[in-house]
Amino acid sequence: MNIVEVNQLSKTFELHILHDKMITALHDIEFSIAEGEIIGLTGKSGSGKSSLMKCLYRTYLATGGEILYASSEGKTVDLVKATDHEVIALRRSEIRYCSQFLSVIPRVSAIDVVADPLARTEKNRDLARARAKDLLEVLGLPTALWDAFPVTFSGGEQQRINVARAIIARPRLLLIDEPTASLDTRTKDVVIGLIRDLKQEGTSVLCISHDDYTLERLADRRLHLQSGRITNPITEII
Amino acid sequence: MSEHNWLLRVRNLTKIYGEPNERTLALTGPEWNSNICPDTDSIVACAGVSFDLYPGEVLGIVGESGSGKSTIVKLLYFDMEKTAGSAWLRPYNDGRANMLEASGQQKRYIRNHLMGTVYQNPRDGLNFRFSSGGNIAEKLIMAGSLHVGSIRERASFLLEKTEVPVRRMDDTPAAFSGGMQQRVQIAKAIANNPPLLFLDEVTTGLDVSVQAKVLDLIRELQQELGIAMIVVSHDLSVIRMLTDRTLVMKHGRVVESGLTDQILQDPQHAYTQLLVSSLL
Amino acid sequence: MIENTKYKRSYNFAFIDESTKKEVRRKLLKAVAIPGYQVPYSSPEMPISRGWGTGGLHVTLAIIGREDVFKIIDQGSDASVNACNLREFVQAMTGCKTTYDTTEATLIQTRHRITEEELREDQILVFQVPQPEPLRSVERYEYRTRQMHGEADYAKMWVSLYESYVRHGGIMRGADYPVKVNGRYIMAPSPIPRWDVPNLNQAKTLYLFGAGREKRLYAVPPHTKVEPLEFEDVKFEIEKFDSLCYKTGYRRAFLDELYLDDGSRQYVINDSNFLDKIEQGGEITPFINPYIQQIEL
Repeated sequence: MNIVEVNQLSKTFELHILHDKMITALHDIEFSIAEGEIIGLTGKSGSGKSSLMKCLYRTYLATGGEILYASSEGKTVDLVKATDHEVIALRRSEIRYCSQFLSVIPRVSAIDVVADPLARTEKNRDLARARAKDLLEVLGLPTALWDAFPVTFSGGEQQRINVARAIIARPRLLLIDEPTASLDTRTKDVVIGLIRDLKQEGTSVLCISHDDYTLERLADRRLHLQSGRITNPITEII
Repeated sequence: MSEHNWLLRVRNLTKIYGEPNERTLALTGPEWNSNICPDTDSIVACAGVSFDLYPGEVLGIVGESGSGKSTIVKLLYFDMEKTAGSAWLRPYNDGRANMLEASGQQKRYIRNHLMGTVYQNPRDGLNFRFSSGGNIAEKLIMAGSLHVGSIRERASFLLEKTEVPVRRMDDTPAAFSGGMQQRVQIAKAIANNPPLLFLDEVTTGLDVSVQAKVLDLIRELQQELGIAMIVVSHDLSVIRMLTDRTLVMKHGRVVESGLTDQILQDPQHAYTQLLVSSLL
Repeated sequence: MIENTKYKRSYNFAFIDESTKKEVRRKLLKAVAIPGYQVPYSSPEMPISRGWGTGGLHVTLAIIGREDVFKIIDQGSDASVNACNLREFVQAMTGCKTTYDTTEATLIQTRHRITEEELREDQILVFQVPQPEPLRSVERYEYRTRQMHGEADYAKMWVSLYESYVRHGGIMRGADYPVKVNGRYIMAPSPIPRWDVPNLNQAKTLYLFGAGREKRLYAVPPHTKVEPLEFEDVKFEIEKFDSLCYKTGYRRAFLDELYLDDGSRQYVINDSNFLDKIEQGGEITPFINPYIQQIEL
């Protein structure tokens, strides 16, 4: 069963402050993501990978087409036209986006940053914090940093916080941008393992990566973008 | 979230100063770059504002000075009389009666039990002739508490929650720092556990470090109490930090609304693009 | 003495003309109908300045009849300058009999006291009121206090009592202690001591209040509930005297502090007629209320 179907999706930015300049980031995108499937999204910088992902998360408003999402309640929601409240509800419970850079709230400890999504869905902060500790332990974040503020962390440390935060509430659809970019091989394997665990539980994943090592171990299929268009017939990885 | 779960529903909220004519609304707004009617000189503080707020949701209203963002909050908190429009609040009459048409007594009930507000200027929200405990007591008394012991117990609890030293409970807020005055205001605003809180430029004019602490407090209270909030600010970083959804206002009209991350990363309206590009 | 005949002419009975009396009476009827509610009235010119008892005088002159026996006290005293002058004026304008004896009087005008002797159904007590608005101390705008009364929005009043408790460990209002009348309006009982406040509750007498300078009339009809504002855990209390009347040895009365020629401090009954009666061994019929009853005889 597909949980996402993208049809004729396009995105054009109209920059009013630059004399209404039009920049088209995505043309006529069509693909689908099956339940429990991991799709690797590849392409050069500026090819539209992040734009596509942000359209799926509704951080960008698509200009045309539709993104049909089959929700856990059995409804089909077009993420292009859904109300803000529908999107908020889906973000809270089943769709998570993990950006390349940590963009969390300042002055909140690593544990709480990670625990927050689960604390909101489960309404149990202690349980969420316990799960967060488990995750940070698996990801090898030094215990000394758990109560520190992630804003001051190194790139690799922030990355791990970011991944942990994205997966803690076990989303149905995970949109993840360069999850392994600044990690060493051992930690890469841990992250790959965690995402594969989610897949086993039925989570579908759209994963942007430049890293063949990661994609080989993670992606069921790859989707290659060039100048805002999908250029490959989707390749299956055996 | 179903269509019927809203906590606050606002439709066509309008406030006009002066005597408008039938062309006033058509001749004002962002496309005219003015909120003053050329025919009548009446001023359109806000017009046609509609939105739904859900329980526990945080809505931001952003815009420059005079865009009408504070007016919305003042109308909803009954600090001002509307010119037109309706607002329904779920816990008031099960959301069936337009609260803007309620009697003075009912409005007072709504203000005291179902809403709280934190003003930019602590003098608007606090009575400096009363102690900080007395200011909180006012809210509790309005809700029917006439037991000094339990009033003081609740006031201490609230001050502790908002990180104001409880030993200063009997001092007037006039003797407090700006950040602490805001904390007392917040303590007063949440005294009766309202489901809805208005925050009107609450960190404007505070030092950056004090600002950060007040914002942290607001966020913590929001998470702990699950209170719905309307946050009015001209500061996009405050909006980004606190809100789920944002309305962008200019010349009294909502020019754009959407998820806060969408407004900040993919603004549609020329004004919002200008606002966002001025941020960094 | 110089005889001046210029102003010697006859006045209408009770000085005020009949149509003005009618207005005052109508406002008084409204005041009685809405216990504790301040009714605006015209407050016509009098031969004394506003703020010197004109409100009380308006009420007295509007309701006095030829058969009335008039008494007037000023802080408990029948013989103060103010009381004497107003008594003479009322007597001159009505020809009514005047008295010092509380029980004999049918109409009593008072400044800042209720008599120690209990008043009866056939008597009326008229208060001179300097500030009729109990909320004035917490809200300076009249339009706001009117709105507060209209909506029974008395939180600010309560906060001021709370503040008084916090600052002084008790509700520090020596006089003019705010009361709630008939479960609805908060009313200023005029600057009577707290001692007198319980005597407003469920009284046999009609109490009328006149504030001439502020142009307001209000009333507490007989047998009306009048409660001093108090918290569940911080109660209203009447004045406590650590002594007794040095002249009579009497305790159950409001006492004045007195410094004698030898520098010693003594207490004496404030109500002059009451004091006279006890000193002369006459019969007294004092007010009884739960607060007074707690005081040993």
